[in-house]
Amino acid sequence: MNIHQFLTSYSYGDAIGNEVLEIRNFLRARGYESEIFAHWYHPKYADQINNYREYDGYSDKDNIILYHFSIGSPVTRKFLQVPDKKVIIYHNITPHHFFLDYHRVLAKDCYKGRVELKNLAGKVDMGLGDSHYNEQELKDAGFTHTGVLPLVMNFEKFEEPVVPVLKELFDDGKSNIIYVGRIIPNKMVEDVIKSFHLYQKHFNANSRLFIVGEYRGFERYLSALHHLVGELGVKDVHFTGHVPEDELISYFKLAHLYLHMSEHEGFCAPVPESFYLNIPVIAFNAGAVKETMNNGGLLVNRKDFLHIAGLMDRVLTDPELEEKILASQQKALQKYYKNKTGNILLEYIKKMGEKES
Amino acid sequence: MPEKDNHPSTNESFISADKTIDVEEIMAAIKKRIQEKKDSGVLRQTEIDEIEDMELLPLPDFLEIPNVYEPHLYPEHKADDFHPYHIEPEEEHGLVKKILSKIRRLLLPLLRFMLRPFVSDLKNLVVELHNTNKQDVHNLKQTVPITFQSKEYIKLLHNAINNMIVESSKLKIEEELLKTRIKVMEDKIAFLEERERAIEKKLFAETGKAGKK
Repeated sequence: MNIHQFLTSYSYGDAIGNEVLEIRNFLRARGYESEIFAHWYHPKYADQINNYREYDGYSDKDNIILYHFSIGSPVTRKFLQVPDKKVIIYHNITPHHFFLDYHRVLAKDCYKGRVELKNLAGKVDMGLGDSHYNEQELKDAGFTHTGVLPLVMNFEKFEEPVVPVLKELFDDGKSNIIYVGRIIPNKMVEDVIKSFHLYQKHFNANSRLFIVGEYRGFERYLSALHHLVGELGVKDVHFTGHVPEDELISYFKLAHLYLHMSEHEGFCAPVPESFYLNIPVIAFNAGAVKETMNNGGLLVNRKDFLHIAGLMDRVLTDPELEEKILASQQKALQKYYKNKTGNILLEYIKKMGEKES
Repeated sequence: MPEKDNHPSTNESFISADKTIDVEEIMAAIKKRIQEKKDSGVLRQTEIDEIEDMELLPLPDFLEIPNVYEPHLYPEHKADDFHPYHIEPEEEHGLVKKILSKIRRLLLPLLRFMLRPFVSDLKNLVVELHNTNKQDVHNLKQTVPITFQSKEYIKLLHNAINNMIVESSKLKIEEELLKTRIKVMEDKIAFLEERERAIEKKLFAETGKAGKK
């Protein structure tokens, strides 16, 4: 039995891309043949990823396909055509209304994705969400055999040291606040900027904000964010764009607080990553964030920017509170260790085999 | 405004955290700090409200531009024939209509009697007005033929203006996007300059150490 993976787009460094690689490596280490098939991928990864149209050569009714589903695409049709056993790993689809003002094509694909999800119900052997929140959406869409597979997190990569130049530049006594994630409208980066502005203006002028993440395709959103920064007169806001992994790790390690104001999350990988790196987290309670936080860090239930700024100040100036937050984060982190997630996946696969026999 | 996604109710406390963290105490401290700032006049509620209400102003989508202006510019000049002074005759309906027609019928003999001396004059007047009107239209066509072609010109002008507005709007968006790109590039250049200095500093420090050894 071989276990292969399907996905629409493989982007190096994003949570789904990382998970796909981790699952493949985990499965290969346990003796399974495992390949990745995608619709879009950078030519740089052509040695690791195959085009999904080439899957016919690998297809077998005893194989299992894990389809990482997060958007509508032609991969779904292929997934349904082949005779292999089918498992969908649902990473959630951002509601299309978030993109209407900025990216009509993506809005359409997200809308189509939700329609495809309903069509997939009853046609797959199992539906796994990477959070209970996502599992519930699968159930609501009509899936009967469901489960939760926490996102495979590889924390080993964080063992790398800080890039010396970045350390020289940003390890200068200023309080570094960080947001990591794509610069897209549902992440509400504007709310991060507003909170930071009030923090910088009224609590700590000696502070800077790192906004680390890809903005390609959302230039108009980026432009609006730049306009907001100018209008508010916020200083020291760094839009880094997409950065290589070593730099991402460095930005994380140079940060003193992680701030997340997103209004839709199916999981939110930077939260456990911050937990691992002992960065206190303040995040807004939306989507699966509460579940991902797992009672670690500080969850904000309302968008009151002044109080959020006050909270940031409190966390960064009260060592006792910071210690308690970090302890809660370490406790919350336990459920994310890689082997555990890999073993959960193998358990589900075993269950599928039992069901067949 | 996008709808909120699974947001907590407003009754929930501002912060949720592990039970080892006293959220009430944190909130009390934050509120106290904020109140102090407000009392000292450093912080004004209007400023906070302004920031809360501040919304992002996205540039319109290139593809959407024609759809933005078309409804405003086209409708009156799109149809081949238009009647700006076309007035629908008012008609009475139902019971009102019946009552009015009865009154009219009753008054008709009286009306005829009253108007009898002027009937021939009225008939002549109607004929005269009709002829004058015809003559006027004819004269107008002879003297200012352009007036009757102007409808087409106006349509053409509207098309041209519409296209110009669409294209200039696109240019404006492009300009704004280019400004953002310049801003991003400026930031990157500033960052690279700082980076260069940091590398130089590191390099000289390393070579200095090696030299001493």
